[in-house]
Amino acid sequence: MSDIAQTAAPAVPTVSFQQRWWPVAERAIGYGLLIFAALATITPFLWMVSTSFKTDAETFQFPPNFIPNSLVWQNYIDAIAGPDTGRQLINSLVFALGSTASNMVFCALAGYALARMQFKGKNLIFALVVGLLMVPAQSQIVPVFLIVQRIPFAGGNDWLGNGGTGLLNTYWGMILPTAATPFGIFMMRQFFSRIPIEYEESARLDGAKTFTIFWRILLPLARPAMAVLGVLSFQSAWNDFIWPLILTSQREMATLQIGLQLLQSGPDARWNVVMAMATLITLPVIVVFLFAQRYVIDGAVTSGVKG
Amino acid sequence: MALQSSTALARRPQSFTQNWSAYAFLTPALIILFLSLLLPAAATVVMSLTDISFLRPTNFVWFDNYIKLVSDSRFRQAVGNTAYYTVGVTLPTMALGLLAAVALNGKLRGRIVFRTIFYLPVLTSLIAAAVVWMYVYEPYSGPINGTLTQLGLPPQPWLQSPNLAMTSLIVMAIWRDFGTAMIIYLAGLQDIPKDIYEAARLDGAKTKDIFFRITVPMLSNVTFYLMIILIVQTFQVFGAIYVMTNGGPLGSTETIVFQMYQTAFGYTEFGYAAAMSTVLFLAILLFSIIGTKLMRRGES
Repeated sequence: MSDIAQTAAPAVPTVSFQQRWWPVAERAIGYGLLIFAALATITPFLWMVSTSFKTDAETFQFPPNFIPNSLVWQNYIDAIAGPDTGRQLINSLVFALGSTASNMVFCALAGYALARMQFKGKNLIFALVVGLLMVPAQSQIVPVFLIVQRIPFAGGNDWLGNGGTGLLNTYWGMILPTAATPFGIFMMRQFFSRIPIEYEESARLDGAKTFTIFWRILLPLARPAMAVLGVLSFQSAWNDFIWPLILTSQREMATLQIGLQLLQSGPDARWNVVMAMATLITLPVIVVFLFAQRYVIDGAVTSGVKG
Repeated sequence: MALQSSTALARRPQSFTQNWSAYAFLTPALIILFLSLLLPAAATVVMSLTDISFLRPTNFVWFDNYIKLVSDSRFRQAVGNTAYYTVGVTLPTMALGLLAAVALNGKLRGRIVFRTIFYLPVLTSLIAAAVVWMYVYEPYSGPINGTLTQLGLPPQPWLQSPNLAMTSLIVMAIWRDFGTAMIIYLAGLQDIPKDIYEAARLDGAKTKDIFFRITVPMLSNVTFYLMIILIVQTFQVFGAIYVMTNGGPLGSTETIVFQMYQTAFGYTEFGYAAAMSTVLFLAILLFSIIGTKLMRRGES
C-alpha cells in the first residue's frame, strides 16, 4: 500500500493517495463485512422459508436446493390443519394476551407507586424489586411448579394446598407466574420518574384523587412505555417454551411452541411442514416488532435491559 | 447503567405525607413477585436440605445433597460444560455486538435495515430457532453439509458428535444473542460525547486508534453490565439443549439447568435438583457481586 501511495502522490498535490482513498476503501470494506454479517444472520431464516415450500421428496435431496422447484402451499395447510393446532393457537393467545394485559396493569400501577408516591417501606420495596431482577428465573422452575401445584382451594386442593393438582394445566397457572416482572416494574418506574411533576401538582390542586391522576393524566402520557412493555411481554410469553412445557401435561393445554416441538420430534415429522409451522409462529412477533420497532428499540436502549 | 440513572434522580424536598393508596397500587405486583420469585428462591434453599420427592415421605437430610453433588461426576461434567458454553457464547457475542453497534451508530446508509436484520434472531422463539438450526445442521440433508460437499469438503455430524455438539449449540446462541448486545452497545454509544471524537479526528487519530483508545474504554461500564446479563442468561441454558441434543451425545451437552430439569421431572428428586439450583444461584450471585465491585472500582 505504501509504495502505491508514493507513486500516486504527485498526481494530487495537496492530499496523498492514501489520505484520499483510504476512507473510501475503509467504507467499502466496512460495507462488505456488514453485508456478509447480515447475510449470515438472515440465512437460517431464508432456509426456513425455502424448505417450507418444498415437496417431501425435495427435502431429502442432497445437497439441498436453496430455491425450491415449486411453491408447495400445501405444507402451510398441513401445518395449520394439524389436529391440535387450533387448540394450541387459542392456548398461546390466551397465555400471551393474558400475560401481556396483566403485566401492563400491574407493572404500571407498581411502577407509578414507586416513582411518585410517598409511603413507608418504599426504599425497601424498590430495593427488593431491583434485587429480584438478578434472581435467575430459569433455575426456579422446580419450586414455581410446586407452588402452582399447591395453590390452596384450586384444582381440588384443600386449604393447605394438598390433595389436588392446583393450577397445573390451567390458564391461571400459566399466566400467574408471568403476570408481573421485576423488569416491567423497574421500567415503568423509570418512565414515570421522568414525567414532570407539574402535571400531577396542578391536577392535585384541582382536587383530583390519586387514582384519577394516575388513570387520566399519567397513564396517557406513558403510552410509549406501555407499548414497549406490551410488546416485550407479548413476545416473551408467545415465545416461552419451558414454563408451558413443565406446567402442562395435558395435550389440550399445549401452546404453539410445544406443538412445534412435538411436530418436529414426532415419528413422521416432515421438514417442509415443520418449517411452515416455524415460519407461521415467527411471523406474528416479527410483524408486531416491525410496527413497534422504534418504541421497542428505544425502550430497550433507555432501560438497558434485553427484550 | 440503568441502575445509576435511577439513583441519580434528584428527590424533591417535600414534606412526608403517608399515601396509603400506594399499598393498593403495589399489592398485586408484589403478590406475583412473591409467588414467582421470592418464595421459590427461599423454597429452593429449604428443599435442598430435604429429600423431597414423589417417591417417599419428606425428611430433612441437611447437607447430604450438597455432599452428594461434590462427588457427582455427572454434575461436575455439567459444570464444565456450562462454563465452556458460557465463555464460548459470551465473548464472541459481545465482540460482534460491539462491532455491529460501532458500524451502525453513524449515519451509514441502510443502517435501519442492518439493525433490524441483526435483531431478528432475538425475536425468534427458542423453539423456532432450534428447529431451524436442527435443519441447518442436519447431517444428510442440511444446507451446511450440502455446501461442504459441493466445495469438496467432508460433511460433519454437527449435533451428533460429542466433540462438535456443544460448539454447534454455541454458534446458534451467538446468532441469537448478538442483536441484544448490539442494542445495548448502541445505547452506550449514545452517551459518549461527540466532541471527543471530533477532537481526536482533528488530531489526525486513525479509526483503529479511535476505536481502541476512545470507544472501548468509554464503553467499559456497558461492557461489564452486558457481560453480567449474558453470563447470567447463558449460565441457565436449557431450552436449546432440551430440544436439539437432549444432553447428548454422551452427556457432552448436559448443562446444570438441564441436569436439574432431569433430576426434578425425570427422577422426581426435587431435593437434589434444588441443591443444584442453589449452587447455580450462588454462582450467579457471586458473578454479579464481583462484576458490580469491579464496575464500581472502574468508576472511581
